[in-house]
Amino acid sequence: MSDTQTIEATPPTAPVKAGPEKVRGLWSDAFHDLRKRPQVLVCSAVILLLILIAAFPSLFTGKDPRDCQLERFFGAPSADAWFGYDQYGCDYFAMTIYGARPSIVVGLLATATTFILGAVIGSIAGYFGGWVDAVISRTIDVFNSIPFVLGAILILAIWRSAGDTVWPLILALTVFGWTGGARILRGSFIEARGLDYVKAAKSLGASDSRVMFRHIFPNAMAPIVSLVPLAIGAYIEAEASLSFLGLGLKPPAVTWGSMISNNVPEVLAGHPRLLIIPALFLLSATISFALLGDAVRDALDPKLK
Amino acid sequence: MGRYVIRRLLQAVLTIFLALFLLHYLTSLSIQINGNPAYAFFGGQITPTQEQLRVVAERYHTDHPCLKRVGDPCLSNFMDTLGRYANGDFGQDLRFRPVSDQVVMRVPNTLRVFAINIATWAIAGIGLGMLAAVRREKFSDYLIRAGTIISGAVPTFLFVLALKYLAGVWIGGWLRDHLGDDNVLSIIFRPSWDEAHPWLTVILPGIALAVIGTAGITRLMRTSMLENIRSDHVRTAKAKGLTGGRVLLAHTLRNSLIPVVTLIGLSLGGALGGAVITEGLWNIRGVGQFVFNAVRQNDTPIVVGVVSLVVICYLLFSLLIDLLYAVLDPRIRYE
Amino acid sequence: MTDHNGFAAGGHGAPALEVTDLVKHFPIRQGIVFKSTVGQVKAVDGVSLTLRKGETLGVVGESGCGKSTLAKLLVGLETPTSGGISVRGEDVTRLGRSGMRRLRRNVQMVFQDPYTSLNPRMTVGDIVGEPFAIHPDVVPSGGRRKAVQDLLDVVGLNPDHINRYPHQFSGGQRQRIGIARALALKPEILICDEPVSALDVSIQGQVINLLEQLQDELGLSYIFIAHDLSVVRHIADRVAVMYLGKVVEIGTETEIYDSPMHPYTQALLSAVPVPDPTLRGHRDEITLEGDVPSPANPPSGCRFRTRCWKATDRCASEEPLLQIRHGAQHANACHFAAPRDVVHAVD
Repeated sequence: MSDTQTIEATPPTAPVKAGPEKVRGLWSDAFHDLRKRPQVLVCSAVILLLILIAAFPSLFTGKDPRDCQLERFFGAPSADAWFGYDQYGCDYFAMTIYGARPSIVVGLLATATTFILGAVIGSIAGYFGGWVDAVISRTIDVFNSIPFVLGAILILAIWRSAGDTVWPLILALTVFGWTGGARILRGSFIEARGLDYVKAAKSLGASDSRVMFRHIFPNAMAPIVSLVPLAIGAYIEAEASLSFLGLGLKPPAVTWGSMISNNVPEVLAGHPRLLIIPALFLLSATISFALLGDAVRDALDPKLK
Repeated sequence: MGRYVIRRLLQAVLTIFLALFLLHYLTSLSIQINGNPAYAFFGGQITPTQEQLRVVAERYHTDHPCLKRVGDPCLSNFMDTLGRYANGDFGQDLRFRPVSDQVVMRVPNTLRVFAINIATWAIAGIGLGMLAAVRREKFSDYLIRAGTIISGAVPTFLFVLALKYLAGVWIGGWLRDHLGDDNVLSIIFRPSWDEAHPWLTVILPGIALAVIGTAGITRLMRTSMLENIRSDHVRTAKAKGLTGGRVLLAHTLRNSLIPVVTLIGLSLGGALGGAVITEGLWNIRGVGQFVFNAVRQNDTPIVVGVVSLVVICYLLFSLLIDLLYAVLDPRIRYE
Repeated sequence: MTDHNGFAAGGHGAPALEVTDLVKHFPIRQGIVFKSTVGQVKAVDGVSLTLRKGETLGVVGESGCGKSTLAKLLVGLETPTSGGISVRGEDVTRLGRSGMRRLRRNVQMVFQDPYTSLNPRMTVGDIVGEPFAIHPDVVPSGGRRKAVQDLLDVVGLNPDHINRYPHQFSGGQRQRIGIARALALKPEILICDEPVSALDVSIQGQVINLLEQLQDELGLSYIFIAHDLSVVRHIADRVAVMYLGKVVEIGTETEIYDSPMHPYTQALLSAVPVPDPTLRGHRDEITLEGDVPSPANPPSGCRFRTRCWKATDRCASEEPLLQIRHGAQHANACHFAAPRDVVHAVD
């Protein structure tokens, strides 16, 4: 290139800094936007606490939720047992703490599996188009024609002998949950395929994988990433509902959903706290994720404002 | 129009076929991996004889050899199942009562729940969405927005339980003490369904079922209204000097309703799942309660049969809606 | 071929790019389950052009005439149905993958819309440096940052802005970034697909001047596609007029503007606004009737005959070839070609 005069004007060794104004991409813009909102800070704190409880329940209670002594049944809350005892004399605080794990684990894992599966299938459909897209779109239609909860009920009803693991739940939620992410990614891929900067990269001779991962993927991911917290909340809700129906983890595992379900008769017997306590914990999780998710979606997808 | 109808019909038939195959394959796979569900018939305590098992297996069509090979799609079994479905045979429950009869008997009550559900969506969702749009960025807008986020995050079963104990037991108890058992309000606020008052006692659970969907409908109504308020044709109407009320009703509301009505249709599928819990907890003798009880009693064949039947009905219903849309909006036909 | 291309005497060298009988048809598919091809959209239907070293060839026509498809064919974004494209005498349609990579270095594209042609999540440095990442042998990895800054400097941008994102630039600056990207591989040919039509009129001139300056400094050849004849006139040495996938007239800028032969060229030119109020009402104005026919089902014979005031039965049966006809110095495709001045005042 002919002209080097202006280059010499700046010392070539000096690192070129971004100008006086802060230069930010979409993600860090969103992060800075979110950091200022009190709603986000409170919800994040609650979520972090719940994840900590789920990961290390023994940090929060020294008691074993399975250590039940019938003579303590319906014991009132005390300094020793903050939430009292249930009908079998189990420590209700310990149960509530240990009940966090299935909810959080199912919420996180189901979100991960559905989004990864959906993202892969959706991007394949959107990138290649043609008959690949036609087959995948038809498949999505078929899975969508079965209402989510009914489908999950069906899978868990026929797989219930699987026992005390979260995998049947994850399987059920994934089989009928992946279509949402797939549809979004397919849409953004089709949109991106026609964009000029993708054509520009192709005309430079960029390989398929470069076009896909450098150009289409980062731009197509925003709408799906912005839905992650909302999805986690929704899967926690679904896990609780399915556990409530008796389709979740089997005893001796403890979940908030099954604690609520088991103690419905105790409400009128004068022990409403046995239902209200797990319900409050469950709500703190779902509402925190919903509020955080709302803020994240706003920050990443300004169109919706 | 003819072409569109034919295309849509073919599509619906194909989707129903594939959806039923999906359900069939999931069931077969579970039997192949987990073993014969006939054991459930006898409960956990009794060990059945081979002869008893054989009889039960025959009744539930689980005796096919393909069900012993993991991964086998069991196509011949599927064809048999389709044949039985075509004859209206969706299996029997563990007491040998036909599923289809039970469902037919229960459909009216489920329709009542859905009528209340849809009415709530329409009134609360559209009303709150309109209010939020008109009072944009004001206190009531923020309140409605926070309300929809939070209420959308409450599981249906908690709403039903809360309503059952707060409204049904607590308020209802006070009403029954002061107004007598036969007062309309006392009946509405009963904590469970009553066959003698099939409409009045379905109002509370219908509203509880509608809460989750209302959140989404309110938000869509708000954005849809805002888009229309900013649109050129509304600006033109205002410039022509039409009154605010007329602009709102004739030009904004009508156009905003189109996507909202579509969402109401789409949300019905989700409400089917919620209906299982709502009807189960409120003792409403509907299709949802049928599934609820079957799940509680480990009666898997009923779950499979009812879900298949519901999926068929749901797909036929959406076909009907699509065709209606095509009649109303000619643009759709030319897609 | 050269006699059809109507070269004026000039200092331009050997052909840089030659296009012969280029055809691109897009199939129209229909069907409920099984798709069958029911027709062809004839986007480009037998185009022959020669671009000489260092010259600018303008391609003009209404939207839908196939000029954008032609551009995509030339840079390899679409593969031709038939016909040949040769760069420096080498037919690129017969090249394999590695040959295509070589071609792409030589022929680069400047896109129409500077807002959509730059990836919003990449910095300017990454965008302009991407060609080096794709063709790592061009610049050693240690020198890429310097090379990118040089490029920014060449197109008149501050080299210190290498870490900024596209949204921090104005439309004209963005188009400069797009030009810098196209120049990165040191191509000989730039295909400019309406490079200024998305810009404000006040900015258009700056970008055009930059392109002219780069042509002088770097010895580039341009194919400059536009629907706006006044922009083309400013930059082009020769002009090709396209209608429904075919070239209907080609000649030097002066020949096309001062003595247009084809009725379509005359109609296009008469619609160009002239910045001289004294000419208003004194020009020969032609208003075309009807719409452009569908390229899926073009008229027989001469494609322009459905809108032409000169059309006869001969036009429907016999297709006029692009050749030099009686009374003209340059090639056109009209049986009844006659010069008609529509740019200057007639009385």
